[in-house]
Amino acid sequence: MSFSEADVQGALKNLTDPNTGKDFVSGKSVKNIKINGNDLSLDIMLGYPARSVWDEIRAMIEAHLKAALPDSGSIGVNVTSKVVPHAVQRGVKLVDGVKNIIAVASGKGGVGKSTTAVNIALALAAEGARVGMLDADIYGPSQPAMLGITGQPEMLDGNFMAPLTNHGLQAMSIGFLIASDDTPMIWRGPMVTQALDQLLRQTRWDNLDYLIVDLPPGTGDIQLSLAQQVPVTGAVIVTTPQDIALMDARKGLKMFEKVGVKIVGIVENMSTHICSKCGHEEHIFGAGGGEKMCAEYHAEFLGSLPLDIRIREQTDSGKPTVVADPDGNIAKNYRQIARRIAVKVAEMAQNHSTVFPKVVVQNT
Amino acid sequence: MSGYPTEIKLHQQSRLLEIAFDDGICYKMPYEYLRVHSPSAEVRGHGTGQEKLQTGKKNVGIVEILPVGNYAMKIVFDDGHDSGLYTWEYLHELGEHQAELWQDYLELLTAAGQSREPSH
Repeated sequence: MSFSEADVQGALKNLTDPNTGKDFVSGKSVKNIKINGNDLSLDIMLGYPARSVWDEIRAMIEAHLKAALPDSGSIGVNVTSKVVPHAVQRGVKLVDGVKNIIAVASGKGGVGKSTTAVNIALALAAEGARVGMLDADIYGPSQPAMLGITGQPEMLDGNFMAPLTNHGLQAMSIGFLIASDDTPMIWRGPMVTQALDQLLRQTRWDNLDYLIVDLPPGTGDIQLSLAQQVPVTGAVIVTTPQDIALMDARKGLKMFEKVGVKIVGIVENMSTHICSKCGHEEHIFGAGGGEKMCAEYHAEFLGSLPLDIRIREQTDSGKPTVVADPDGNIAKNYRQIARRIAVKVAEMAQNHSTVFPKVVVQNT
Repeated sequence: MSGYPTEIKLHQQSRLLEIAFDDGICYKMPYEYLRVHSPSAEVRGHGTGQEKLQTGKKNVGIVEILPVGNYAMKIVFDDGHDSGLYTWEYLHELGEHQAELWQDYLELLTAAGQSREPSH
């Protein structure tokens, strides 16, 4: 035998995963190294869903190993993804069937939060993750229309509802439970927070890697009870580059900081307008606002999306861009943002520093 | 963001809460001190001038401590008071200014002709 397991580990220590910026060994991705004579096989288990880049990563690792281990014969690398569950607080009840909860929020309304949320959810699903969508906008639920789902959830044993599904997502929304599209929810705060809790906990989520929570705008009842009672892994803030939207986005971000919910990063929506006639791209809401905010608050800039009529048309018709045009540039953009979120969430999941300490009672 | 707690000890005999944070700071605060400075609206009221002076809490006990999200804890006292959410930030503040705040409280008690002793 001309090389050992340690040589393989050593070689992979010098190779950086372009998605995480860490090498594969310290990212604990390398498993099951088998050496048979000069033949080598190993598994790479990524902590984030990345079906679209598995082949790329496999090719990269195989080439790297071939170069590092000149004596090797055949090299077989098997790349898969496994999403780790997030560590949660003592006292905060876990949500059954959910590994990670990601809140999508904005300070201001109308910045495209729900559109971004649904496309991120679909992008994560396209990368091979099991994903759910919880529409926490009780007064103005838009996920049923965006996901093209009508009908009522089936009641299961006890007090549980089965989530409705489309495009491979499991979804729950107050919109599924009310009589018609024009029925308003005329409710005070306590009713709204109770409804959110029921939608979250009385839905039988089926083995989700990620539950995306589409929050209403603002920093009120819903956001606060989410922070207090729901084991959220982190929050994604959506904003436009416009000063007036950034002002509110900052408040949203500060609120999450105050209540100890980690910020996954910021998505800038409507960054540029692309003319559907001539294709001309213009910064109609100003340029670089999202990036500036990220620098100011040490948050990660997850990516930006254009104000493109196709996003609006596809999402309004119940077939968001990621499924309507999966090979297009915009879908690619959403997938990249989703991958960044997944990588960040995987890092957060391994950080147990904010788990509430055990309270020791002493007779002293 | 202030430090996150790493250890919480309830010394039930001496009625002291000991809390250590990951920024290396550790405080010991009497239950009574925490109770009379509860951040609850029942104690603070809904604005300056509406504070309600807490009296007769010398022997108050702590029944339970519950986490609230990632940013605070709820202290359940044995006199039934459980609506105060003590954020990590507030606990730092209480610990840091313990001497002054306690002195201020004693002066308010004297001025109001009230006592730390339970009334019955």
